[in-house]
Amino acid sequence: METLALPSYRQQSPAVSDRFRRLKERPVILDVRNLGKTFEGRAGSVVALDRISFQAHRREFLCVIGPSGCGKSTLARIIAGLDAPSSGQMLLDGKAIDGPGPDRGMVFQTYTLFPWLTVKHNIMFGPQVSRGLAGSTAEAEAEEWIEVVGLSRFADSYPHQLSGGMKQRVAIARALANRPRILLMDEPFGALDAQTRAQMQSYLLQIWKQVDITIVFITHDLDEAVYLADRVLVLDAHPGRVRELMEVPVPRPRTREQFVSPEFIAARHHLEELIHPPASIETEPLPIARMTVVGDDVE
Amino acid sequence: MIVTSKRRPWLRILGRVSPRKRAALAVLSFLIPLALWCATSYVPFIWHPMIRVDDAGDASWFSAGELVDGDAFAEENARIASEHGHAAAGRRANPVFLPAPHQVVRALITGFTTAPARPEEPWLHQALWHSITIIFWGFLVSSLLGFPLGILCGALPGLARMTEPFIEFFRYLPAPAFGALAVAVLGINDAPKVAIIFVGTFFQQVLVIANTTRRIDAGLLEAAQTLGASRRHLLFRVVLPGIITEVYTDMRVLLGWAWTYLIVAELIGVSSGITFFINQQAKYRAYDKVFASIILIGLIGLGTDVCLARLGKHLFPWLPAAHVRGRRRANAHEVVGAPGLIPMVAATEVDDLAPDLSGARADSPVVAAPEEAVSA
Repeated sequence: METLALPSYRQQSPAVSDRFRRLKERPVILDVRNLGKTFEGRAGSVVALDRISFQAHRREFLCVIGPSGCGKSTLARIIAGLDAPSSGQMLLDGKAIDGPGPDRGMVFQTYTLFPWLTVKHNIMFGPQVSRGLAGSTAEAEAEEWIEVVGLSRFADSYPHQLSGGMKQRVAIARALANRPRILLMDEPFGALDAQTRAQMQSYLLQIWKQVDITIVFITHDLDEAVYLADRVLVLDAHPGRVRELMEVPVPRPRTREQFVSPEFIAARHHLEELIHPPASIETEPLPIARMTVVGDDVE
Repeated sequence: MIVTSKRRPWLRILGRVSPRKRAALAVLSFLIPLALWCATSYVPFIWHPMIRVDDAGDASWFSAGELVDGDAFAEENARIASEHGHAAAGRRANPVFLPAPHQVVRALITGFTTAPARPEEPWLHQALWHSITIIFWGFLVSSLLGFPLGILCGALPGLARMTEPFIEFFRYLPAPAFGALAVAVLGINDAPKVAIIFVGTFFQQVLVIANTTRRIDAGLLEAAQTLGASRRHLLFRVVLPGIITEVYTDMRVLLGWAWTYLIVAELIGVSSGITFFINQQAKYRAYDKVFASIILIGLIGLGTDVCLARLGKHLFPWLPAAHVRGRRRANAHEVVGAPGLIPMVAATEVDDLAPDLSGARADSPVVAAPEEAVSA
């Protein structure tokens, strides 16, 4: 098969390399050092994460991808404080973190909105419990956030009245209303259909532009990672290790037209090779007998 | 008749039943047993094992108006025939303990207007009201303790380990077994009756509510934790509202169970309430009143449950079931896809990589647009 002549994914235009230079000058928000996680099972221990180290700078959009079973969700849960690491440490703004806290917001794949609260009260939940805000103050802030995610008409709706994409917009607003330092997103658009997913990606980029937030975004979708991220952290599976921290050479602002730009294809191709090395995709032919009548006009 | 549309059978496996059909079927569920009862009562050749004697004739041992076993009646007439006497005449009838529907309906109506046979006996409404207060207090005391304990057991596995094994043991002890003990401790009046209702309800209540509490979506708790919720917040602002609708349904079921302990409870000590009333009427062989009382208990139970279900819809407006026809909000899907929903602060493309904000964090959660930041 003839291969396309692609530029190297390392090749960056001056504007892009300038961006990365400035990005790295920013303070480090999240510093993950030699993080490890071992699950003790009946069949012995399984190393889910092995010495993961990376840094996220202020207002960076960092995507984490890897094959299934590489522990990307576990990584997000550990950073969120929902699971305890077996080894290593994490620093947020230079301070060690332990256990869940309002400084790390999280958006889950399953919609975790509180069904008994309206959109507005869902968003007020964080400010009220973590900062002890009075009802009226929290409400005013919540209304601001509802506007940011474009759901003003639905402020008094209950979650079951919203579509999947709208629920995730509320979940994002709810996490951001707490003014966290980082926003962890664990395959947030995985349950959405392709069209809604594309919309949500654009919404997320717009929100990220307006808000002072560092995003760590877990996904298994390579296009999504290249479209959204500044840098992509690629993990290996069994055990989960850092394979590479790739700088995405696609200039911003991102548009969906860029999906066919040479930089985008080069970056995506590189991720594809990292995650599915050609040898592993070769599968054994299935022992399937021909089920159609001989002479059918197939193939 | 021309069939215009294919009728969908209403007995499809897990099929949906339209609201109109649902109402019709609900009425039918009462009509079917009523029809069976009417048939047994009014169609002479169905059952009717007895004979109501109209004319005793030469019969030696029965008199007019008496209810006699069918076989005995035939035997007696055969004896009379052999002696060439005057045969007795009668109609087929049901035993006295199966009154016909119209008799029960009459008893239902007159039950409230007829004074008791003896002045010291209660009226029907007094008996019923007494039973209701017993249920009320028994269930209230049980719930005041069982509801919080159940929630805590569900939320705190440590507490559950410490209490549930014993409760599990205790719930197998039949509540009536404590009757004598309750009378010895609490006297012979209403207190031991309330205690029996309590014993019958409380232990089940704790276990049922604890199990319901454990079924809470763990994702909600995790989400709340990442939003900074403390243990107290998790309990009162996540667990409690998260399971309250399910627990409410549990409570309705448990209230039904409490009623099943009522008859036993009212036999303890001085018999009282509807149980006493029923027993008295049975002594007077007024089985129409017995039936009327039993039906009244059913109506009160069903009525309470329907009221509680209605109340639930108002208490928990977030339930999709409260999605009453005609009150639906705008369909969510209308909005998805509408362009420009996110208000852009500035549509600038100068440098979309966010501006350097190494200084103090902006006070507003929404960061100022790049242009404004530059001009400031």
